[in-house]
Order: sequence, then C-alpha cells, then structure tokens
Amino acid sequence: MSNEKELMDTVKGIFFEVFSNLAQSDFSWEKEQKDYESWDSFAQLNLITFSEAKFNITLTLEESIDIKSAKDLLETIQSHLT
Amino acid sequence: MNIINFLKNNVEKYPAKTAVIDEQRSITFSELYQEVQNFSNSISFLNEKNIISLVSENSILFIIAYLGIINSGKIVHLIPPEISENNLSDQIKTSDSKIIISNKLVKKNFANYKSIKIQILEFEEILSRCDNKIRKSETNNIAYLIYTSGTTSKPKGVPISHSMIEFTTKNIIKVLKYSNSDVDLLPLPLHHSFGLGCVHTSLYVGSTLVLLKNATDLQYILESLIKFNVTTLAVIPATLTKFLSFDRDVLKSNFSKIRLIITNSTSIPKKTVQNFKVILKEGNLATYYGLTEASRSTFMIFNKNNEREESVGRISPEVKIKIINEEQSDLKPGEICIKGNNVITKYWNNDNADKNLVDGWLQTGDIGYFDKQGYLFLKGRNDEIINIGGEKVTPIEIESIVKDITGVEDVAAFGIDHEIFGQIIKLNVIKTKNSDLDKSQILSYCIKNLEKFKIPSKIDFVEKIPKTDYGKVKRFMLK
Repeated sequence: MSNEKELMDTVKGIFFEVFSNLAQSDFSWEKEQKDYESWDSFAQLNLITFSEAKFNITLTLEESIDIKSAKDLLETIQSHLT
Repeated sequence: MNIINFLKNNVEKYPAKTAVIDEQRSITFSELYQEVQNFSNSISFLNEKNIISLVSENSILFIIAYLGIINSGKIVHLIPPEISENNLSDQIKTSDSKIIISNKLVKKNFANYKSIKIQILEFEEILSRCDNKIRKSETNNIAYLIYTSGTTSKPKGVPISHSMIEFTTKNIIKVLKYSNSDVDLLPLPLHHSFGLGCVHTSLYVGSTLVLLKNATDLQYILESLIKFNVTTLAVIPATLTKFLSFDRDVLKSNFSKIRLIITNSTSIPKKTVQNFKVILKEGNLATYYGLTEASRSTFMIFNKNNEREESVGRISPEVKIKIINEEQSDLKPGEICIKGNNVITKYWNNDNADKNLVDGWLQTGDIGYFDKQGYLFLKGRNDEIINIGGEKVTPIEIESIVKDITGVEDVAAFGIDHEIFGQIIKLNVIKTKNSDLDKSQILSYCIKNLEKFKIPSKIDFVEKIPKTDYGKVKRFMLK
C-alpha cells in the first residue's frame, strides 16, 4: 500500500514538474489532456521522458500516445514495474 | 609582409633574446633565424615540390621547419600527428603534397599506413643535407595549407596567405596588446590556426614563446606559469574548466602574474568565465570567434565591467560581419557572414566549398546574432540545428544550460530521429568524479530553465565525448 502511495506521489510530482504552473487544486487523476491548457505534444514528450528517467523504464510509442490523463500515465508505469 | 620578415625584424632588434623555449632547449632570435636558413637550404633538393607536408609535436624544430619551408618559397601543409589513415590519404591527394617531413615517432606510425605512397623524411634526414650555400629567400603568396577539423563534414583545405597572417596578427596585437615584454605559454598543437596565430603573434612582437607538448597535464602548466614568468596563456575552454578543480588559492597564486588568458571560440561555460574573472587579479580572460577560413573575426575581453559572459565579442578592426536571416536584422539569429582581409578567397582545390564564398563574404554556417551594443553571440551551426516538430533548437543553448548543473563535467546535445517529432534531443553527459547526479535531476533543471520543446528526451551518461583537438564536439560521431 505504501509503495502504491509512493508511486502515486512520484507520478503526481512528475506532473507538477512538467506543468510548473499547475495549482494543486487543478490536479486530478481523471482530468484529461484536452482539459489542460498546456498539455501539448511537447508536454506529452516531457511527461514520458521524465517518467522513463524516474523509473528507469522505456515506454513504447503506442503506450506514449495512449496516455491521456495522469491515471493513464500511472497505470502505464505500474505495468512496467510489475 | 612575409612572416619571415617578422623574424628578421626581431633578429635586428633583439638578436640575443630568447625567442622560443621547448621542453628540451631554448633558442634566441638570431639562432632561430640561422636555423631557419639552414632548413631552407636543406630542402633545396625538393625544388620541384611546391607543397611540403609537415607533422610533428610541439617543438622548436617544428617552428624551424615551418618557417624554413615558408622561407624557401614553398607552402607548408600542416597535418595533426594523430590523423587517421583515411584523412591523411585524402589530404595528400587533394593537397598534391609530394613529401612529408616529420619527427621519428610520427614517421614510424605513418609507415603502417599502406595507402600513403609519398616519401616521409625525418627532420634529421633533412638537416643532414644542409650544404651551407647561401640561397636567396623565395616568396609565395600562400604560407600554409590547413584542413578544417571536419566537425560536420569532410575536411576542407584552407590556404592561408601571408597577407592574411599579417592582417590577423596585427589585429591580435592591437586588441589583446601583446608586446615584446610578454612571455607566452602555448600548450596547444601547432597544426591549427589558434596555435599558429599565437606563434605568429610572438614572432611579430618579439616576445618569448614557451611551447608545451600537451594541455592535459594541468599541474605542469601551472608550474610552467611560475617557472617561465609567463604573462599570457593560450588554452582551450575545457582546460580552463578543468583548472577549476584545483584549490582556488593555488590558482590565484599561480595566475597572479598573468595579464591575459586567450581561449578560442568553442563555447566557454558561463561559470568558468565568472570564476576566472575572480582568479585573475590583474589580467583578463579573452576569447575570439573565427574559423580557419576567417581567423579572429571578433574578440571578447571578459572583465569585471562586462556581464556578457556568453558573447564572443565585437568585430575585429577592419572586418565586416553581417547576419543573414528572414528578418534582415543583425539583432535576430541568422547565418554569420564575414568579409575582410582575414578571409580566404578560395578553398584548396574544392569548387563545391568555394560556393560558400560570395562577393568576398564567407558564409560560415554558424548561427549568431548581435546585441544592440555590437556583441556577437553564437547559437550553433546551421547543419547542427535540431528540428523537433518544426521547432528549431541549437545544441549549444541546451549544452550551456546543462553545463551549469552541479555534477556535470561535460555534455553534448544532438538530434536523433523520432517517429512523431522528426527529431528529438539527446544528451550525452559526462559526470564529475563521484557525482551521484541522475537523469531526472537533469530533466528537472532543464524544465526550470528551458522552453518545453528544448527539454532533452534521451540522456546517456558516457565516459567520453568525441571532440577535435580544440574542443569542438564531433556531432556526426554521436548520431
């Protein structure tokens, strides 16, 4: 349980690093890419890059494209760690 | 004025003054001139050979041979000792050189190069042919031929005339105020225009030149500063950065008599400039921008009153620089073009490269812009630009940010192919000893300091970054 909490905190941390102007109250796991003003293709690339570096994993192109929310990112990372 | 006249003038003014010191001996201006004459005499049997290739480590003998060949009216083709067989073979073919003069070690190495068919003679073999007959000095418009380092393309032959040398040397002296009271320490190889420019400057003003064989032994350089009462030092930026690992008081003490450190136009980390502004008590750190084809086109003297640590300075006297871009503004990034008596009129047997010379303007392929006060800033090279989904990024701007991260010793940025973006940015990073820096720390720093399309997408920690002798990254080897 604590590992999952730690993982969620780290993924959330990645979001706040990439979207440095994002307020805590504006974050939600379900909120989708289209609802973020600054989540464009470069931000997507940075989310993937940051996640790969943080967890020492490599996401496929398909996985990278399919990530549309923080929850998607979390689940994709989880699938690489288990 | 022929550069042999530089030497002759000093023979008249200071015959007994020490001209050059190497790791074995020293030589006065008068002795140097005599040995140059002897060398010219010794190669008189090579009459029909107009171009002579010269390759050797730094030594007094190198300078004697270099000046001796020029004094005999021939062109010196300068070759780096560590040249690959393919490159050497290309250079010999395109330069039309018929003979190589070298030291013993290089001759032995080159003997393994099966594709090199021309004669290789050692210095001693040449000098044994001196018959002491007095022969008249000959002149040739071209003094030497040097091949560009080839960071992005195949090396191109660049012929340098005596008038270019004279023009550039006078500019160096005017801006950097070299004088006959200087002692110039040169731990740079002499087969490059940076090192050669320093030799010409010392010969022109009649200062004493101290040659070291390599720039990697930092302790030896520090000791040499004191031992020879050195006043000027020429080094590449990487050497300066490495000096910063020494105790600060040791550096301040060893550099206390230095009035000038000159470095070349490879980007100098801002931190290095800032540190040396403090380390040098009375002196200044300076840099220049130029290419072999257009030597010393700008000069930058970093001092406490000038905060432009990332500039390569202002345009040299009687040189013109314009920036070509869509906005038609020198204040916006674009290709740097140079015109002046420091610029070649033609490449050596290379019609394709000659297309870069239009109405006397050299199209450098370098990207830069001026600020309103006329200081030039480099952004990288046209052919190094990384295009990420239509957004263009120069490696140099990424590298200058990453170099500021504690734990980063060196970094090279370059583009790699990507299915969606066309290209993405990759970094090869060398960590400092014992650093526990990780990739996410680098990314965090980049996110805070760069636009989002400039954030690297791949990072590798590496042991080495391929570079030329003068510290320019060989990006084509990274891709």
